[in-house]
Order: sequence, then structure tokens, then C-alpha cells
Amino acid sequence: MGSRGLILLSAILACFPLSSLADAIVEGRVQLPEARAAPVMAKRYEIVTTGNVLKTEPPLAVVYLEGSFPKPNPSITKQIGQKDLTFIPALLPVRVGTKIEFPNFDDTYHSVFSYSPAKRFDLGRYRPDERPIPSKVFDTPGLVTLRCDIHEHMRGLILVLDTPYFVITDKEGRFRLSGLPSGHYLLKAWIDSKTTRKQPVDLKDGATAHVDFP
Amino acid sequence: MTVSSGPTSGTVTSFRTKLLLAMMLVVSGLTLLGVYLAQRNVAITTQRNLRQSFEAELSWLHRLQQLRNAALQERCRGLAAKPRIHAALEDNALDLLYPSAKDELADLMQTEQQPAEEAAGSLHARFYRFLNVDGIVLPPPNPKEVGELAPDDEKRLALKELPDRQQTAYLTEKGTAMPPVVDEVIFVPIFSSETNEIIAALVVGFRPFELTGVHVRAGMKSGILIEGALHLALVSTAARKTLGEEVTQAIASGDRTKGSFTVTVNDDTQLLFYERLNANSLLASAYQVCIYPLTESIARQRRLSWQIGGAGALLLLGGFMASRFLAMRLAQPVEQLALDSEENRAQRQRVEAVLESTSEELERTARYSADASHQLKSPVTVLRTGIESLLAREDFHPNVYEELSALLHQTRRFTSVIDDLLLLSRMDAGHLKIDSQPVNLVQLIEEWLEDLAALPEAFEVAVEKEFPKSLFIAGEKRYTSLIVQNLLENARKYNRPGGHIRVLAQQQNGEVMLRIGNTGRAIALSAQEHIFERFYHNSETSVAGHGLGLNLARELARLHGGDLKLVRSKNDWTEFEVCFHVANAVPVTTD
Repeated sequence: MGSRGLILLSAILACFPLSSLADAIVEGRVQLPEARAAPVMAKRYEIVTTGNVLKTEPPLAVVYLEGSFPKPNPSITKQIGQKDLTFIPALLPVRVGTKIEFPNFDDTYHSVFSYSPAKRFDLGRYRPDERPIPSKVFDTPGLVTLRCDIHEHMRGLILVLDTPYFVITDKEGRFRLSGLPSGHYLLKAWIDSKTTRKQPVDLKDGATAHVDFP
Repeated sequence: MTVSSGPTSGTVTSFRTKLLLAMMLVVSGLTLLGVYLAQRNVAITTQRNLRQSFEAELSWLHRLQQLRNAALQERCRGLAAKPRIHAALEDNALDLLYPSAKDELADLMQTEQQPAEEAAGSLHARFYRFLNVDGIVLPPPNPKEVGELAPDDEKRLALKELPDRQQTAYLTEKGTAMPPVVDEVIFVPIFSSETNEIIAALVVGFRPFELTGVHVRAGMKSGILIEGALHLALVSTAARKTLGEEVTQAIASGDRTKGSFTVTVNDDTQLLFYERLNANSLLASAYQVCIYPLTESIARQRRLSWQIGGAGALLLLGGFMASRFLAMRLAQPVEQLALDSEENRAQRQRVEAVLESTSEELERTARYSADASHQLKSPVTVLRTGIESLLAREDFHPNVYEELSALLHQTRRFTSVIDDLLLLSRMDAGHLKIDSQPVNLVQLIEEWLEDLAALPEAFEVAVEKEFPKSLFIAGEKRYTSLIVQNLLENARKYNRPGGHIRVLAQQQNGEVMLRIGNTGRAIALSAQEHIFERFYHNSETSVAGHGLGLNLARELARLHGGDLKLVRSKNDWTEFEVCFHVANAVPVTTD
């Protein structure tokens, strides 16, 4: 237990070097595109393609801080389930090196695959009781589109980022990132597969920077 | 048949010739018309058959195309439904597009084992490519799997804008050897199954269906016209060029959809049909062109026209003989008619000549008697006046007066003869016209009876009168008076002593009948038929008369529309009857 705690601590220390360890905050609002239609389900998001552009519906943005940060802990594992013939969550930002599991919660086969340059994979057909849960490690930054070869409407997005500081906005586009290192950075807002906005930001320890993406 | 005279023979011959000519003309006309109609019929039938054949070919072609297009459309709908295709297109994984589509389109492509001849007209594609949403051809990673194309030809598949519905175009592969290969290229849009947007297009190239096999008549050639260039196998380059120009011109000037015309290339007459293949396409139009050699049909027409011509000649010959026979038969009565009319004319001319001379003679006679009467009248008047003046002297011997009285009587008689002659001559010449008025016959009779009674005669005769108070007849008074005078004078003159005269007048059936009878010696039976002749005088009677009275009276009665006749003359009784018309209007006052 003690040795494991030490290893964990050293890992955390490795992630947050002392020089930049700080508690800067950035918050603001991303101007989101108009929703295509009133959302049918409050918590449900889907990935739509319009003019070859993938985005969430209703619109959401991922705000992240770009910069050179220490290598991540490789043991981070996340899940994107397939439930009710949708990917849940529909949009998942992850840090490079994250392992994502794709559990099948439906009573049918799914066949998750991606042709995205950031990660090409094909998990093949599998049932809910497939063990181990099919998974992939995403080690290249970029957008990965998840599809199911059986259910053509199913889409999921994984935004693989080379940063540990990212957050999904709320429906109004509001965001808040805390525990950021001080310094001069670029704050980016991913809105859809073709649109990423950026704003320079100066972060000071203990201060809250306000950045809006018009 | 006997032809008696020269001119008649000529007329009849001319009539026969004309009849013959007319009949021959009719027969030739009918033959020519028959030849013309038969030829036209053959030409029309041939063209209609060829057109039907062409349309059957085309409809067969269209059915195949529809079948193929429907299959393609279904295939593309299936493709669009495939997540991997979407993934390849939307996730920037174009290198995976062809592999992803490979399974789906595997059966579309012809297998390598399939012979090329069978491939033509089959439902297998020669190649396929994808166009991205901008209309650019996505290069296949392994061209062998999707059908090889020369790079230039592949570029020509690109479109400025993806069509929203299936389009057919025809592509001449420039990269291949002569003659160039023609592909029927079908552009099928791929719609996103989610948003219904066009995300790509599939381009499939086929060998065009060739109009070959059981549907094709011997000698028919079919090809495709693309952008003014005709692709027609088995035809020389020059002929192909000429035909291409002809069709292009026909399309430009006439029907843009379909049409047909006859064309002569290398001395071969051919019937050419064209019809647009990609009727509803936005892409460059292409036409199916079929040529059918008309050489056989023309030969058949020629053969037929010879046959009909021969039949026509035979018919003409038959017609000639028939018309000759008919002309003879028809001419026969005409000839008879001509003969008869000739005789009739001669007779008529003779009769006319006789009539003319008679009339001339009559006129001359009438003129002569009129002239004679006039010439005689004046000396007689002079004579009478002289005698009367001599009678007025008192120094002659009484015998002389007796003599003179007799002479005077004779001159008076002479004058009356001249007057009668003058009247007759006027009647003969037709110069005497009756001025018809109502005349009271009874009054006339009464006047003359009074005059007769006043005459100093040798014996008395009794007069028996049977007539109403008045009877009006239609006539001229002086002439009717002459008739009455004549008859009454005769009745008195030829009477016997102690005899009587009966005058009877009555109206019956619109006529007035006057009968005057007298006693006395009857007229001999042999003389009865001559008494009305001019200058006839019965030698048996002793009574003086110049033989003009009865003739004149009858002529005058006839001139009035009536007649005078002898009723009877025997047993001491001679009776004449004269008829007159009753006057229409009777004058109110009579005197």
C-alpha cells in the first residue's frame, strides 16, 4: 500500500513539475453554433455529419490548453459504451495515451471501427459478453470518428489531445478550467471536425483569466 | 360495214382513232399510276419495317439500360448505407474507399475469365471510380481491381458539380487504339443516408449495348455519335466521317431527339435512324445511330417496278386490243348515224330548195296578180267613166243606150273581178291581216237582204229567216260582209222562179253557224268538189259568174278562224254553211 502510494505520488509529481505547478483558472464562453433542432433528450448527444463536418448535436465544444506538458500516466482508462444503439458518451476528449474500452451494453452485436487517420482500428463484431472488453490505446492526437459497421447511424467522436487540461462546455458554451499552470499559452476551442478556435491566454497563479470565443 | 361516201368514211375513221387514243391514254395513265402507287407502297412499307425494327432495337436497348441503371441505383443506395464508405469519405480515409467498396461492387465488375465478346452487352462494368464531393476523381489504390483507364481518360470523368440524379454520358477512350473504345458512363450520386446530402458519386463505365444478335436484320449497323464523331464499326473512316457530319447536321437543323433520313455513302443508299440515348442527361448528348442498307429494298423495288411495268405493258396491249374492238363497236352506230344524217341533210336541202322555189313562185304569182289588178283597175275606171258619160248624152239612138247599159254592167263586173283578185293576191302573199272586232252578223245579213231585194231581177224569191236579234262574231266587218254578200248573192243568183232562200244563224259551242240555203238546180256531184277552186265555173249553168266568189269567201272565212263548206246540194236544195268565232266582248251600243 505504502509503496504503491509512493509510486502514485511520484507519478503525480512527475505530471506537475514544481516550476509550473500552480492553480490558475480560465473561464469564459464559447459561441456555439445554432442547434439544428430543439434537443429531444436533455442528456443525449449525437454526432452528425453536415457537409462532411462532424459535430455534436446539440452543439458542444471542447476547450483545451495547448502547450508542452509532461508525458501522461499511461494507466488512464476510459470507456465509451454502446447503449441503445448509440455511443455514450458521443464525444470524449482524452489525453494521448489513454486506453479506451468499448463495452457493448446492448443485446445485439456491434462492430466498432474507425478510418480516422489519428487511429485506424477495427474491433470486429462482438457481443455484450465479450471479455476482455475490446479496447484501444489512443496515442496520436487528432479526431477519431467511431462507427459501427452494423448500425450505420452510430457515430462517436474521440478527441485525442496532447494536453491534460481540457473540458467540455455546457450547452450554453460556458467552461471553466482550473488547476492550470501559469504562463503564456494558447487556449483552443474545438467546435466541430473542421472548426477549432484559438485564443492566447496569460495564466497567473491564483488568478482567473476570462476568455471568450466569439 | 359499208362506207358509201368519202367524207363520211374520213369522219368515222377520225372518230375511231380519237376513241382509240383516249382509251389508250386512260389505260397508260392507270398503268403508270399503278406502278407509281406500288413503288411508293413498297418504299413506305420498307421504311416502316426498318423504322419498326430500329424502334424495337432501341426499346430493347432502353429496357436493358433501365434494368442496369436501376441495379446501379440500388447498388449505390446500398453503398451509401455502408458505414465504411461514409467513414472513408468523411473521415479522410480515401485510401480505404475502394477497398471498402470492393466487396459491395465485386460482382459489378466483369471477371477476368469472361471473354470480351460476352462482356459487351452484359451487365458487367468495365470500370468504376468514385468522385468526391467536389467532383474530382478519387484515384484507386489498385486500378486493376476497378478497371484500368488511361490517366487522361480518368481525368475526363471529373465533373464540375455532382449531379443530383443518375446521368448517362458516353466517353470515347482516347488512350486506346483505333478504333477508340466507347464507354457508356453512368454517374450515380451517393446520398448520405443521414442528411440526404450528396457526399460522393459513383462513376461506372460499361461497354455500350450493341445492337447485335437476333434483333438485328442482316446488314444493319449501329453505332454511337458522341460530340459529332460517329463510332460505327465496320464502316470506313471516310464514310464514318461523312455519316457523322450528316447526322450532326440533321440534329442541328431538325429534331434534336430522333429522326431518320436517307443517305448515300460510297454509292450505297442507306436509311439512317438516330435517337438520343441520354435523353434526360445534363451531360453531352449522345445518339444511337443505325444504318440500314436500302440496296436490297431498292433492288426489290426495281424488280417490282419491272413486274408492274411488264404487267402494265400487257395490260396496255390488252387495253389496246379491247379499245380497238370497242372503238369499232362503238363507231358502228356512229357511222350509221353519220350516214343517216348525211342522207337526212341531203333530203332536207332538197326539200328546202323546193320550198324556196315554191315560195318564190308563189310570191311572184301573188305580186303578178296584184300588179295586174292594179294595172287593170285604172283603164276599167276610165272605161266606166267614159260609158257613164256617154249614157248621160241624149242624142243617141235608144238601142245605143241599151248597148251602153250592157257595157257599163260588164265594166262593173270587171271591177268586181279585179277587186276580188286583188284581195286574193294579198291573201296569197300573206299581207292580209284581220283587225278583229265584234261584228253583228244579224245586222250584216239584214243589210244585204235589203240590198238584194232592191235589185231589179227577173223573178221574186221568198226569204225565210231564222236568227236571233243579234249575233256578234269576231272579225273585220268588210271581209265578213263580203262572205255574207257572196253567199246571199249566190243563193239568189242560182235560185229558180218561185223558189225561196232560207237564212239560219245560231250560236253553238262558242261558234256562230250561218247556213244559207236556196232552192234551184243542184250542183252536179262531179262539180261539187271543185266549186271552191279559183276560176272554176260550172259550164252547165247559164248564170253569169267569174268563179272567184266562193274561193274568196272560203279563204276569208278561214282567215277568220272559221270555214265555209257545202252542206248539201240535191233535190232542188243547195245549202252552204259558214262558221265564225263568237266575239269575246260585245259592244254596248249597236246601230
